[in-house]
Formats: sequence, C-alpha cells, structure tokens
Amino acid sequence: MAVIKTQNVTKVYNPDTIPVHALNGINIEITQGEFTAIVGPSGSGKTTLLNIIGGLDNPTDGYIEVGGQDISKLSDNELIEFRKNNIGFVFQAYNLIPVMTAKENVEFVMLLQNRPQAERDQRVKELMEAVGIGDKMDKRPSQLSGGQQQRVAVARALAPKPHFILADEPTANLDSKSTANLLDIMADLNQKENITFVFSTHDQRVIDRARRVITIDDGLVISDETR
Amino acid sequence: MLFKIAWRNIWRSRTRSFVVIGSIIVGVWAVISLLSFSSGISSSYVNSTIQNELSHIQIHHPEFLNEREIGLDIEDSQAILTKVKKTPNVKAASQRTVSIGMVSSSKGARGVMIMGVDPEEEDQVTNLKSNIKEGNYFGSKKRNPILISKRMAEKLQVKMRQKVVLNFQDKNNDITAGAFRIAGIYSTGNNTFDEFRVYVRRSDMNRLMGEENLAHEIAIFLNEPRELEMTAGALKTISPNLAVQTYKEISPEINLFESQLQISAAIFMTIVMLALIFGIINTMLMAVLERYRELGMLMSIGMNKSRIFFMIVYETIMLGIIALPFGLAAGYVTVRWLNKKGIDLSAYGEGMQEFGFSQIVYPDLQSEYYLQLALAVVITAVLASLYPAWKAIKLKPVEAIRKI
Repeated sequence: MAVIKTQNVTKVYNPDTIPVHALNGINIEITQGEFTAIVGPSGSGKTTLLNIIGGLDNPTDGYIEVGGQDISKLSDNELIEFRKNNIGFVFQAYNLIPVMTAKENVEFVMLLQNRPQAERDQRVKELMEAVGIGDKMDKRPSQLSGGQQQRVAVARALAPKPHFILADEPTANLDSKSTANLLDIMADLNQKENITFVFSTHDQRVIDRARRVITIDDGLVISDETR
Repeated sequence: MLFKIAWRNIWRSRTRSFVVIGSIIVGVWAVISLLSFSSGISSSYVNSTIQNELSHIQIHHPEFLNEREIGLDIEDSQAILTKVKKTPNVKAASQRTVSIGMVSSSKGARGVMIMGVDPEEEDQVTNLKSNIKEGNYFGSKKRNPILISKRMAEKLQVKMRQKVVLNFQDKNNDITAGAFRIAGIYSTGNNTFDEFRVYVRRSDMNRLMGEENLAHEIAIFLNEPRELEMTAGALKTISPNLAVQTYKEISPEINLFESQLQISAAIFMTIVMLALIFGIINTMLMAVLERYRELGMLMSIGMNKSRIFFMIVYETIMLGIIALPFGLAAGYVTVRWLNKKGIDLSAYGEGMQEFGFSQIVYPDLQSEYYLQLALAVVITAVLASLYPAWKAIKLKPVEAIRKI
C-alpha cells in the first residue's frame, strides 16, 4: 500500500517576479515499510520535495497523497493538524523542546492529541526503551549527548503512530558511533515494526543503509534504485 | 501543558526575565508612590475641609446656601437635631447660626462669615477647639467671647482679650452690632478659610438676632464616612422639607479633587503601562526571534497556531504576575512608611496654605487603586504579548526550521 504518492508535483518559487522552478513534475510512490533515502546535491529540489511530502509546504501544482489523503490543497492550519496525526519528524538539530525532559518531549505530540494519561505513560515507556534510552526519561536535552537527543527525537516522532517518519539529515551533527547507533535503531524499528522511514541526506552512511535511494536533480527524479 | 512550557520558558533566560520583572516592579512601585502622594494631598484637603468647616453632612433651609438670608432658618431645629442624633451612623451633630457681617477693630474692618456655635456640640463635629493657638475655646463664662483666626488678628491688628465689634443683620433685617472680646485665636492652616470666619456662641449671637432658638445649619459628623450617601438618605426622610447635603454637594471642589485624583491616577497608570508595554514587547520579541527554529519545529510536529499564540501570551502574563506582588508590596511598604513619617513640604508651605493644603503630606492610597493597578498590569502584559505572539504564529515552519 502506498504511504506517499506524488503525481506531477511542481513547485515554483516567486512565480510573479523571478520564478524559480524547484520541482518540475515529481512522480514517486513510497509504500509501507520502506527505508528510503532521497538524495541530491544542494539546489536539486530535495528539500522542497521533502517539505511537500511532509506537509510543511503546498505544491504549485500536482497531487500528493499521504496515507490515502490528498494533502495538496490543505490550508496551513489543516496541514498542522494533519502533520500532528500522520507524520513523524526528525530534524537535523533543534529537534527537542529544551525546557522539557526527554519523557515530556516524547509525550508532547500525544498531549497535543489529547490522549489519556495512562496511554501516554505506557507508550512513552515503550518507545524510550525501544530507542535504548529508557533510563534517561527525566533528563533535559542539554543533559543528553547528540546521539541520545536524536533517539529521543525518533521516539517522539513515533509516539503518535504516524504513517511514516520523515528524517531530515538526522545524522548531520553526529559522530560515526552515534550515527551507526541511530541507524541501527531506525533499521530495527523498520524491520520489526514495519515503520516507514524517508530520509533526506548527504550522509553516505545513511545512503549505504537505505534499501531504496531516490536521486533528485533539477527538480526531477533522475534515478530510483531499490536494493 | 501550555502553562508548564510557558513557565519553564520564562526561566530560560533568567537575566532577561528578571529585567522585565524588575521593570514591572519599579513601574508598579512608582505608580503607587505617586498616587499615594497625590491622594495624600487630596485627602488632607478633603479632611481639613470636613474637620474644620463642613463636617460630613449639613442640613439647611433649601434656599439658605444660595440666598444666605437670616430668615431662611431651620424651623424647629432642636427637634430635628434630636432626631438626627438618633440616626444610625451619626456620631455627633451641632446647630449653627450663620450670618454674613463685618468685624471691625480700631485699626480696620473686614467682611466675615459669623458662625454662632454651641461650643460643646461644635467640638464634636469640627476641629475648632484643637485649632486654637492662643487663649481658649469659649472657656470663660463671660458674655460675648469671640474666636478669630491668627490671620484675621494680624489684619485687624488686634490681640487676645481686645474687643472687636460685629455688625450683622438681625431677624428683622435691621443692622445690629455687638462688642465681642477675643477669647481665642485659631489657625486651621487654610488661609482662605481663616480670613473669613469668626466664631461666637450661638446663644450670644441669637440674643443679638432677636430669636433665641435660631439655627441656619445643622452640621453632622459620621462614624463611618463611607456610608455617607446612605446616611444622607436616612436624614432626608427625617427632614423632608429641608436640604440635606453631603460635603461633596456643598463643596463641589472636593468632588473635583476626588475626580482629579482618579484622572491623574489613570494618566499615571497609562504612562507607566505604556512604557512597560514597549519594554515587554521588546523582550518578548527577542524571546520569540531567538526561538524561531524551535517554534518552527513545534509547528512542524503539530502544535497549532492558537497554542503557539497562547504560549507566548501566557509567558508574558506570567512575567507580569510574578512581578505584581513584589511591586504592590514594595509600593505598600513605601506608602505605609511615608504615611507614618509624613512628607514635609513646609518649604512650599506658604503657597500651599493659601489654598488650604497642610504642610505635611501623609501619603495614603485606597485599596481599590492597588486592585486597579493589578488589573492594569495584567492588561498591559496581555497587550504587550499580542505582537510577539502574532509574530510567532506568522512564521513559516519550512523557513523557521532551516533558519541559521
């Protein structure tokens, strides 16, 4: 089943002044359980595609379906609501709320969803244990290493049971040991729980672990390789 | 949840939060101090007018205050006085015979208001006795003692125990005159008042007037001035054909004073709160811009705009609410201290006395102003939070999360 489906997605910035064509008709389909990296040089349109798939931006034209729902015409507020319930995000940095503990960060989206306390507590515990930081519940982000912070971010992204996890350069600030560790955890979740991961990355270590690599350049898919 | 994040957020940059909290404290303190000072001046004026002259409520013939005619007296005033004294909240009441006339000595003459008072009862409604600076308060049993002010004594160039002559109209509108001996010299601190008023015994004055029981005025002093209007209402039912007026009605400048205090309070508050608004906006805007990426992340993961908006609003209100008790307490302590100590304005005393102000001001502030100020601070915080909060929700998560 397709978790993400795009049809002729285009994006033009500054259409009225100096138009910049970031995406020129992207057609991709990502199915449940994929571990996919979207790669491409700077200016290729990779980030724009990721923003559109993640419901952070609207396309100029074309159609995007996430979990069976057309999100290409949603308003800002509808997109926020959609992201909350359907997409898990892991960013490169500034992922966590610095004034909250690891547990509170993981719990945060579920609080936004008004889930009951007992459910939240149980899920936070499960997720934090799954990413291997069950003992760091009450630590603030500043008390955690970069790798541990990213693991909290992964746990948080998983908390609302999203259709897929969108990870934007998740390993950019990590050393190789932490990177390997994080990738192990994500690959493990992918295999055991059938969770879909979509990465945007430059990092060869991530690309090496991906089972599908979509390469973008000049706003077009130039290669789509499944391993 | 929002409260929790907001609360923790304000302690992220302690110095900055303390600067805002500090400025609110200073602002609140300054407003309270300034208001208490002007309130002190105002209430000293109001109190001296009440205690030296008006008392809280007066009863007259309905035409008396306009016409000042001798014939416009209170009929059966003794019976009314008895009823008045039995009215709840009335502490004391005193009858007065009032006439406009002339006082003359060998050195000069002046127009005056001659007040015929019953010494014992008058002592319970005004401060005349305690304002005596020389001599005594109708102490002697001799006929025709008079109390004149220090200022009047200077103008007439008379001293204690010398004689002055009073000329005024009697009951038949004929001019009558009597020689009075100066038994006491008083000073209220209000030159305007002192210059135009002399006090004699009502019995002496009425004898010259030709009617023993004449009274033009009943002055009433209350136990609880806050129930002024209620008591005035009760007194109106006792004397339906007479004019029952509170000091505010008799002396409109007192009302003016009180409303002026309210206006200046509003102006002070507005100025200080405006200054605070800009200070708070500046700080909160900094806090928002500094957290641009974090706010973008929050929006990305599904925190909607209204939550972001209220988070910033709560943060600002919390700063105000933290500062408020300290500001109010600092103001209160200052007011209590100054109230006990008094602010000596004798350097400017002459000018102030001319207008009936006392030289030492005892700052004081009614509790309702503290409440108003508390409300003003909360409103200020809310207003100041709107722009930064609006700025926060205007950000585009796509741009925010990739901003360096």
